[in-house]
Amino acid sequence: MRDYEVVYIFKSSLTTEEIEGRLEGHHAKILSASGSEITAVEHWGKRQLAYPIDRNDNGYYVVTQFTASPAVLPDFERALKLDDDLLRHLVVLSEGELPMPALDDRGDDDRNGDRIRRKVDAAAAPDAAAAAGAPADEGDDAADEGDDTTDDAAADDAATGGDESDEDDADDVDAEREN
Amino acid sequence: MAFRKVCKFCERNVERLDYKDADTLGRLITDRGKILPRRATGTCARHQRQLGTAIKRARYLALIPYIQGYHS
Repeated sequence: MRDYEVVYIFKSSLTTEEIEGRLEGHHAKILSASGSEITAVEHWGKRQLAYPIDRNDNGYYVVTQFTASPAVLPDFERALKLDDDLLRHLVVLSEGELPMPALDDRGDDDRNGDRIRRKVDAAAAPDAAAAAGAPADEGDDAADEGDDTTDDAAADDAATGGDESDEDDADDVDAEREN
Repeated sequence: MAFRKVCKFCERNVERLDYKDADTLGRLITDRGKILPRRATGTCARHQRQLGTAIKRARYLALIPYIQGYHS
Protein backbone atom coordinates (compact mmCIF):
# COMPACT_ATOMS: atom_id res chain seq x y z
CA MET A 1 0.00 0.00 0.00
CA ARG A 2 1.25 3.40 -0.89
CA ASP A 3 -0.06 6.92 -0.69
CA TYR A 4 -0.68 8.56 -4.02
CA GLU A 5 -1.95 11.85 -5.21
CA VAL A 6 -3.63 12.49 -8.52
CA VAL A 7 -4.42 15.84 -10.12
CA TYR A 8 -7.11 15.92 -12.79
CA ILE A 9 -7.70 18.78 -15.19
CA PHE A 10 -11.13 18.43 -16.75
CA LYS A 11 -12.50 20.52 -19.57
CA SER A 12 -14.16 23.49 -17.98
CA SER A 13 -17.19 23.08 -20.25
CA LEU A 14 -18.35 20.11 -18.16
CA THR A 15 -21.00 20.64 -15.54
CA THR A 16 -20.27 19.86 -11.91
CA GLU A 17 -22.46 16.76 -12.11
CA GLU A 18 -20.60 15.44 -15.12
CA ILE A 19 -17.29 15.94 -13.35
CA GLU A 20 -18.55 14.23 -10.21
CA GLY A 21 -19.74 11.34 -12.34
CA ARG A 22 -16.39 10.97 -14.04
CA LEU A 23 -14.52 11.19 -10.74
CA GLU A 24 -16.71 8.47 -9.33
CA GLY A 25 -15.98 6.26 -12.31
CA HIS A 26 -12.23 6.73 -12.01
CA HIS A 27 -12.21 6.31 -8.27
CA ALA A 28 -14.15 3.08 -8.64
CA LYS A 29 -11.12 1.72 -10.48
CA ILE A 30 -8.96 2.43 -7.46
CA LEU A 31 -11.47 1.10 -4.98
CA SER A 32 -11.97 -2.14 -6.92
CA ALA A 33 -8.89 -3.56 -5.20
CA SER A 34 -9.30 -4.47 -1.57
CA GLY A 35 -7.66 -2.23 0.98
CA SER A 36 -7.72 0.83 -1.26
CA GLU A 37 -9.01 4.01 0.18
CA ILE A 38 -9.72 7.53 -1.06
CA THR A 39 -8.44 9.80 1.67
CA ALA A 40 -9.20 13.24 0.29
CA VAL A 41 -10.87 14.88 -2.70
CA GLU A 42 -10.29 18.56 -3.18
CA HIS A 43 -11.97 20.61 -5.89
CA TRP A 44 -9.96 23.62 -6.90
CA GLY A 45 -12.60 24.50 -9.42
CA LYS A 46 -12.20 26.35 -12.67
CA ARG A 47 -8.82 27.94 -13.17
CA GLN A 48 -7.03 29.57 -16.05
CA LEU A 49 -4.35 27.41 -17.64
CA ALA A 50 -0.87 28.86 -17.98
CA TYR A 51 -0.94 27.84 -21.64
CA PRO A 52 -3.74 26.48 -23.81
CA ILE A 53 -4.17 22.70 -23.87
CA ASP A 54 -6.01 21.44 -26.95
CA ARG A 55 -7.33 24.97 -27.46
CA ASN A 56 -8.78 25.08 -23.96
CA ASP A 57 -7.84 28.16 -21.94
CA ASN A 58 -9.46 27.02 -18.71
CA GLY A 59 -9.56 23.79 -16.80
CA TYR A 60 -11.38 22.37 -13.81
CA TYR A 61 -8.83 21.10 -11.30
CA VAL A 62 -9.47 18.28 -8.84
CA VAL A 63 -6.85 16.85 -6.48
CA THR A 64 -7.42 13.43 -4.94
CA GLN A 65 -5.31 11.59 -2.41
CA PHE A 66 -5.63 7.85 -2.07
CA THR A 67 -3.99 4.78 -0.66
CA ALA A 68 -3.72 1.78 -2.92
CA SER A 69 -1.45 -1.01 -3.96
CA PRO A 70 0.74 -0.17 -6.97
CA ALA A 71 -0.97 -2.98 -8.88
CA VAL A 72 -4.13 -0.93 -9.47
CA LEU A 73 -2.29 1.95 -11.14
CA PRO A 74 -1.88 0.62 -14.71
CA ASP A 75 -5.60 0.00 -14.93
CA PHE A 76 -6.43 3.34 -13.36
CA GLU A 77 -4.13 5.33 -15.61
CA ARG A 78 -5.38 3.60 -18.72
CA ALA A 79 -8.88 4.70 -17.83
CA LEU A 80 -7.64 8.27 -17.35
CA LYS A 81 -5.95 8.28 -20.75
CA LEU A 82 -9.13 7.13 -22.43
CA ASP A 83 -11.20 9.90 -20.88
CA ASP A 84 -11.51 12.51 -23.61
CA ASP A 85 -12.83 15.18 -21.26
CA LEU A 86 -9.72 14.99 -19.13
CA LEU A 87 -7.18 17.50 -20.43
CA ARG A 88 -4.35 16.36 -18.17
CA HIS A 89 -3.75 14.08 -15.26
CA LEU A 90 -0.78 13.52 -13.01
CA VAL A 91 -0.37 10.65 -10.56
CA VAL A 92 2.49 10.99 -8.08
CA LEU A 93 3.50 9.47 -4.78
CA SER A 94 1.97 11.60 -2.07
CA GLU A 95 4.36 13.27 0.33
CA GLY A 96 1.67 13.25 2.95
CA GLU A 97 0.51 16.43 4.54
CA LEU A 98 2.30 19.33 2.98
CA PRO A 99 3.00 21.93 5.62
CA MET A 100 3.09 25.12 3.64
CA PRO A 101 4.79 28.17 5.08
CA ALA A 102 2.40 30.78 6.36
CA LEU A 103 1.25 33.15 3.69
CA ASP A 104 2.44 36.44 5.19
CA ASP A 105 5.90 35.04 5.72
CA ARG A 106 6.37 34.02 2.16
CA GLY A 107 7.01 37.39 0.52
CA ASP A 108 10.77 37.37 1.13
CA ASP A 109 11.69 37.35 -2.48
CA ASP A 110 9.65 40.20 -3.82
CA ARG A 111 11.02 42.88 -1.64
CA ASN A 112 9.08 45.51 -3.48
CA GLY A 113 5.80 43.84 -2.71
CA ASP A 114 6.89 43.55 0.88
CA ARG A 115 7.77 47.18 1.05
CA ILE A 116 4.52 48.32 -0.41
CA ARG A 117 2.66 46.19 2.05
CA ARG A 118 4.61 47.65 4.94
CA LYS A 119 4.02 51.16 3.77
CA VAL A 120 0.35 50.54 3.47
CA ASP A 121 0.38 49.17 6.99
CA ALA A 122 2.11 52.25 8.28
CA ALA A 123 -0.26 54.54 6.46
CA ALA A 124 -3.28 52.67 7.76
CA ALA A 125 -1.91 52.48 11.27
CA PRO A 126 -2.84 55.95 12.57
CA ASP A 127 -6.46 55.44 11.63
CA ALA A 128 -6.46 52.00 13.14
CA ALA A 129 -4.87 53.29 16.32
CA ALA A 130 -7.38 56.10 16.57
CA ALA A 131 -10.21 53.70 16.01
CA ALA A 132 -8.82 51.26 18.56
CA GLY A 133 -8.11 54.00 21.10
CA ALA A 134 -11.65 55.25 21.34
CA PRO A 135 -13.66 52.17 22.29
CA ALA A 136 -11.16 49.92 24.10
CA ASP A 137 -8.52 50.99 26.62
CA GLU A 138 -6.90 47.59 26.99
CA GLY A 139 -6.12 47.20 23.33
CA ASP A 140 -4.17 50.47 23.31
CA ASP A 141 -0.75 49.27 24.40
CA ALA A 142 -0.59 46.42 21.99
CA ALA A 143 -1.75 48.57 19.12
CA ASP A 144 0.85 51.24 19.91
CA GLU A 145 3.65 48.75 19.94
CA GLY A 146 2.61 47.38 16.62
CA ASP A 147 2.61 50.88 15.18
CA ASP A 148 6.14 51.56 16.33
CA THR A 149 7.59 48.64 14.48
CA THR A 150 5.79 49.33 11.26
CA ASP A 151 6.70 53.00 11.40
CA ASP A 152 10.36 52.22 11.89
CA ALA A 153 10.39 49.89 8.97
CA ALA A 154 8.68 52.42 6.77
CA ALA A 155 11.08 55.15 7.87
CA ASP A 156 14.04 52.94 7.02
CA ASP A 157 12.66 52.38 3.58
CA ALA A 158 11.97 56.01 2.99
CA ALA A 159 15.45 57.05 4.12
CA THR A 160 17.29 54.67 1.85
CA GLY A 161 14.96 55.17 -1.07
CA GLY A 162 14.75 52.99 -4.16
CA ASP A 163 18.51 52.60 -4.77
CA GLU A 164 19.21 50.31 -1.90
CA SER A 165 22.37 48.29 -2.04
CA ASP A 166 22.26 44.63 -1.17
CA GLU A 167 23.70 45.27 2.25
CA ASP A 168 20.95 47.66 3.07
CA ASP A 169 18.44 45.04 2.15
CA ALA A 170 20.11 42.58 4.44
CA ASP A 171 20.08 45.14 7.22
CA ASP A 172 16.41 45.67 6.69
CA VAL A 173 15.75 42.01 7.13
CA ASP A 174 17.85 41.89 10.25
CA ALA A 175 16.09 44.89 11.70
CA GLU A 176 12.79 43.24 11.04
CA ARG A 177 13.84 40.14 12.91
CA GLU A 178 14.91 42.12 15.94
CA ASN A 179 11.60 43.85 16.05
CA MET B 1 21.51 39.80 -6.45
CA ALA B 2 21.07 39.94 -2.74
CA PHE B 3 23.48 37.88 -0.74
CA ARG B 4 21.65 35.23 1.21
CA LYS B 5 23.23 33.11 3.86
CA VAL B 6 20.46 30.63 4.43
CA CYS B 7 18.19 28.87 1.97
CA LYS B 8 14.72 30.33 2.36
CA PHE B 9 13.10 26.92 2.41
CA CYS B 10 15.47 25.70 5.11
CA GLU B 11 14.67 28.81 7.09
CA ARG B 12 11.03 27.84 7.10
CA ASN B 13 11.64 24.14 7.66
CA VAL B 14 9.98 23.13 4.42
CA GLU B 15 10.21 19.35 4.20
CA ARG B 16 8.86 19.00 0.71
CA LEU B 17 8.25 21.57 -1.97
CA ASP B 18 4.71 21.39 -3.24
CA TYR B 19 4.29 21.33 -7.00
CA LYS B 20 0.73 22.63 -6.54
CA ASP B 21 1.87 25.87 -4.93
CA ALA B 22 1.97 27.98 -8.08
CA ASP B 23 2.51 31.25 -6.19
CA THR B 24 5.79 30.16 -4.63
CA LEU B 25 7.03 28.38 -7.74
CA GLY B 26 6.14 31.33 -9.94
CA ARG B 27 8.53 33.42 -7.91
CA LEU B 28 11.43 31.08 -8.61
CA ILE B 29 11.32 31.25 -12.40
CA THR B 30 12.50 34.05 -14.68
CA ASP B 31 10.11 36.30 -16.53
CA ARG B 32 10.56 33.92 -19.44
CA GLY B 33 9.68 30.89 -17.36
CA LYS B 34 13.15 29.46 -16.83
CA ILE B 35 14.13 28.01 -13.49
CA LEU B 36 16.24 30.52 -11.55
CA PRO B 37 19.72 29.26 -10.66
CA ARG B 38 20.79 28.72 -7.10
CA ARG B 39 23.25 31.57 -7.31
CA ALA B 40 20.34 33.91 -7.86
CA THR B 41 18.03 32.60 -5.18
CA GLY B 42 20.35 31.16 -2.53
CA THR B 43 18.39 27.91 -2.44
CA CYS B 44 20.34 25.00 -0.97
CA ALA B 45 21.19 21.98 -3.10
CA ARG B 46 18.55 19.77 -1.55
CA HIS B 47 15.72 22.21 -2.05
CA GLN B 48 16.91 23.19 -5.53
CA ARG B 49 16.58 19.54 -6.57
CA GLN B 50 13.06 19.43 -5.18
CA LEU B 51 12.33 22.74 -6.80
CA GLY B 52 13.31 21.43 -10.23
CA THR B 53 10.92 18.52 -9.90
CA ALA B 54 8.16 20.70 -8.52
CA ILE B 55 8.46 23.28 -11.30
CA LYS B 56 8.42 20.62 -14.00
CA ARG B 57 5.31 19.05 -12.53
CA ALA B 58 3.63 22.41 -12.21
CA ARG B 59 4.45 23.15 -15.85
CA TYR B 60 2.86 19.92 -16.97
CA LEU B 61 -0.28 20.83 -15.04
CA ALA B 62 -0.36 24.29 -16.66
CA LEU B 63 -0.02 25.98 -13.30
CA ILE B 64 3.04 27.85 -14.52
CA PRO B 65 4.11 28.31 -18.15
CA TYR B 66 6.85 26.46 -19.98
CA ILE B 67 7.64 29.66 -21.87
CA GLN B 68 6.26 32.97 -20.74
CA GLY B 69 5.33 35.71 -23.12
CA TYR B 70 5.46 33.60 -26.25
CA HIS B 71 2.55 33.76 -28.64
CA SER B 72 2.70 31.62 -31.72
